[in-house]
Amino acid sequence: MKFTSDIVIGLEIHAELATDSKLFCSCPTHGDDTPNSRTCPICLGHPGSKPVINKKAVEYAVKLCLALGCNINKELIFSRKSYFYPDLAKNYQISQFDIPLGEKGKLKLKSGKEIGITRVHMEEDPASLVHPSGMQSSNYVLVDYNRSGDPLCEIVTEPDLDSPEQARDFMKQLITVLKYLGIFDIDRCIIKADANISIKESGYIRSEIKNITGFKEIERALFFEVDRQKQAIKDGEKFVQDTRSWDTDTGTTKRIRTKETEADYGFILEPDLTKIEITDTWLDEIKITMPELAQDKTLKFKEKYKLTPEFAEILAQDKLLAELFEKVAAEINPVLAAKWLRRELVRVLNYNKKTLKDIQLDEKQLIKLLKLVESKKITETTAQKLMEILVEGVDDNGKALHIEAYITEHGLEAVSDVSELKKFCEEAIKENAKVVESYKAGESKALNFLVGQVMKKTKGKASPKEVNDILKNLLK
Amino acid sequence: MTASDFIKKVQDKEIDPVEHTYQVLKECKKINKEFSYFTTLSEELALNQAEAIKKDPKKPLAGLPISVKDCICVKGVETTSSSRILKGYHPLFNATAVKKLIHDGAIIIGKTVQDEFGFGGFSTNVGLDFKTPKNPFDKLRVTGGSSGGCAGIAQKLDFPHISLGESTGGSIVNPASFCGVYGLCPTYGRVSRYGLLDYGNSLDKIGTLSRELEDSALILKHISGVDRHDCTALDKAVDNYPSFVKKPAKGMKVAIVKEALSEGVSEPVTKKLEETKAKLEAQGVKVEEISLELPIKYGLACYYLLATSEASTNLAKYCGMRYGNTEKLEGGFNEYFTKVRSKHFGKEAKRRIIIGTFSRMAGSRDAYYIKALKVRKKIVDEYKQAFKAYDALLTPTVPILPPKFDEVESLSLLENYMTDIMTVGPNLAGLPHLNVPVGFEKGLPVGMMLTADHLEEKKIIQLGDALK
Repeated sequence: MKFTSDIVIGLEIHAELATDSKLFCSCPTHGDDTPNSRTCPICLGHPGSKPVINKKAVEYAVKLCLALGCNINKELIFSRKSYFYPDLAKNYQISQFDIPLGEKGKLKLKSGKEIGITRVHMEEDPASLVHPSGMQSSNYVLVDYNRSGDPLCEIVTEPDLDSPEQARDFMKQLITVLKYLGIFDIDRCIIKADANISIKESGYIRSEIKNITGFKEIERALFFEVDRQKQAIKDGEKFVQDTRSWDTDTGTTKRIRTKETEADYGFILEPDLTKIEITDTWLDEIKITMPELAQDKTLKFKEKYKLTPEFAEILAQDKLLAELFEKVAAEINPVLAAKWLRRELVRVLNYNKKTLKDIQLDEKQLIKLLKLVESKKITETTAQKLMEILVEGVDDNGKALHIEAYITEHGLEAVSDVSELKKFCEEAIKENAKVVESYKAGESKALNFLVGQVMKKTKGKASPKEVNDILKNLLK
Repeated sequence: MTASDFIKKVQDKEIDPVEHTYQVLKECKKINKEFSYFTTLSEELALNQAEAIKKDPKKPLAGLPISVKDCICVKGVETTSSSRILKGYHPLFNATAVKKLIHDGAIIIGKTVQDEFGFGGFSTNVGLDFKTPKNPFDKLRVTGGSSGGCAGIAQKLDFPHISLGESTGGSIVNPASFCGVYGLCPTYGRVSRYGLLDYGNSLDKIGTLSRELEDSALILKHISGVDRHDCTALDKAVDNYPSFVKKPAKGMKVAIVKEALSEGVSEPVTKKLEETKAKLEAQGVKVEEISLELPIKYGLACYYLLATSEASTNLAKYCGMRYGNTEKLEGGFNEYFTKVRSKHFGKEAKRRIIIGTFSRMAGSRDAYYIKALKVRKKIVDEYKQAFKAYDALLTPTVPILPPKFDEVESLSLLENYMTDIMTVGPNLAGLPHLNVPVGFEKGLPVGMMLTADHLEEKKIIQLGDALK
């Protein structure tokens, strides 16, 4: 493989699938977090226990392969990956080696660059190791098998990434896909990556950095590693292929082992699991349930709805928000709808520390609200306030919000009659001759005072921008 | 008395299951002092079960004593696969086969000794601190293995009783032959392996040993069937095996495997093969000879590579964590588990782990593990071809009479493994096979092995009975 870029990065990502049960037994994947409370003879590796496949997990993994455009191998075959470690209940992990579920896929970065996906396969999670007094200073480790047997998808990229920023973006794009498919729960599922990175100066001798959690950490770790490698070249260090760990507290990588001592996993086919056929019928059933993905939505929002790339992307990131936008945009000017969802709705949600998933947003009321904004029947200020109530779901009396009734009750209709507004503006001009003089003398800020005066007259029920325009006109 | 006769007497309250079980246990203790067939007698469990049966005797296997090979889990009863590394392990669950028997009213009397984890053909490789079982006809000779304890107690116990054994490369029929009892090893997947401590997962089968053929057939019927805990258990109809015992074998076609005769088969065994042929023909069975080259030529190598590859991964879990024997908790994980495994695994277990690990390491995997998988497929194909023309195949079960302990000691490793030469073929191919005790030579039992196509246990039962 001929490399030419300054930096070459490949990622190996482990994403936990959001199934209810573990991959090979019916223990719950979440719930009681008391250590070793969600275990059974199978995930504890008891003698005589046998694995049985979780069909839902297979479905989720197939969805991911489809979303990444992979060729799917029609026979699901597992392998045993043997090594000794305290977090491995059987001292082998049931994984896939010879024949992975999916191969030769791709995922586009924000920039449009395509990153190759070498393979996607399924495997079980080991247990968690708890260092009672921190990783450096504990002299024993505790093993919690709650995680043992959780279903994972491993995604391996081609070494197509050429910067830490691209690596970060890749992770972001991948997480968006996982969330869109409904196979990954951001609140409880973990996503980790190993990164392979090399630089031109060393002749592309790579280091593998293991177990980095989250896309921000990926970028941090890789930035550090690029600098470390560059410095090592300057210092005249000899480069060897090695494996390193990332310490998030100190922000550094440390060597664990070199290639000479790499593990040989002695793979055999898993004899306790029979071959599972991914039939065409099953594949078709799964394909029907596939949603339109974020990247396709982004394109659609740009082309069909004429949104800016920034707005298109942000709305497409969250599946619920994207779907809400499409419903609203069917009845409201899309650009206005985009602005209000992106700025106002998200603002109110963030303020209340909620997501769309958490609230029961009445879409009809939202559309009504935005129709009123569109036709200028209410001011933007009024609309912002109404948005807050809409998110809360009930008004100050605890009643369900009905937009039109509420507006009438509280007298919130905008003063939008131009002649009426003009009248107020003329009044304000007459009453504030000195301010008018200041404005005409070049003091543009004086206009704001006049606007304020008109707003008082309209009891805030006018659009400040409109008032501003009318005043400017009158004072020309 | 056959098992069925006995069960009827219990159901009709002619026999008190509690009193009977007590007698059986007493007799087992006596036998054990001399022959060392049991690792554990599950007295409390057995008597509790007997009490329950006394109250409700209308179960299909009411009061029937069953001994269980040590590698098959019995809940709450020490299960070690006759290895010191699992000393003290009491399973949290019953193997499916055991669960079914208990549900049907059988009484579990104890766990029988074996070669550690199934690693052997003579039961001389029992784990550290375990006693080697002795042949019921001559205490200076071996029982065969690895289900040596099963075969020994099946022969020696004078009460209706069946032993639940296990076979990977021949471990049911081999000791059955050396101890003069029937050994019935069904099709791979016929009986659920859930709760069986794995030796070679693609080879292991649970089966039965008994003095009466219909007893083995009866138990096989009760333990067979699909199991949601084991996806290799076949979802296929279970034949009424006992009903085939009385069916005449006239008109069936049997083939003697020619190659089996040239592999160091001793004279007394050859003599018995001739007698068997004659007896079958007298019953109207057609007996011919065929050539079945691959299993004899490559079966042993193929078997030892695949079985040990799988075994080396299966035994990795025994490291002094969560269950079994432990050592003082000091040093890093590597030092700890190395100490536990070095100290408590027997020599043959260590040998097979090393062979199996080597076979699947990156540099040798293609030449050994992968190659063996391919050879296995060819062996299966050759058998399937043969069964198009024949109901069953016939060979001696083992080439020799039960050897003395010191004779086994003096065997080279290869000679030792060669005892399996007849049995590895059917075991690799997952074919049902039966040891039929055909009499004695020089005072020692000889056995003949009948092999049928997948799921055709009924045929070998039918033919086996013809040799009574």
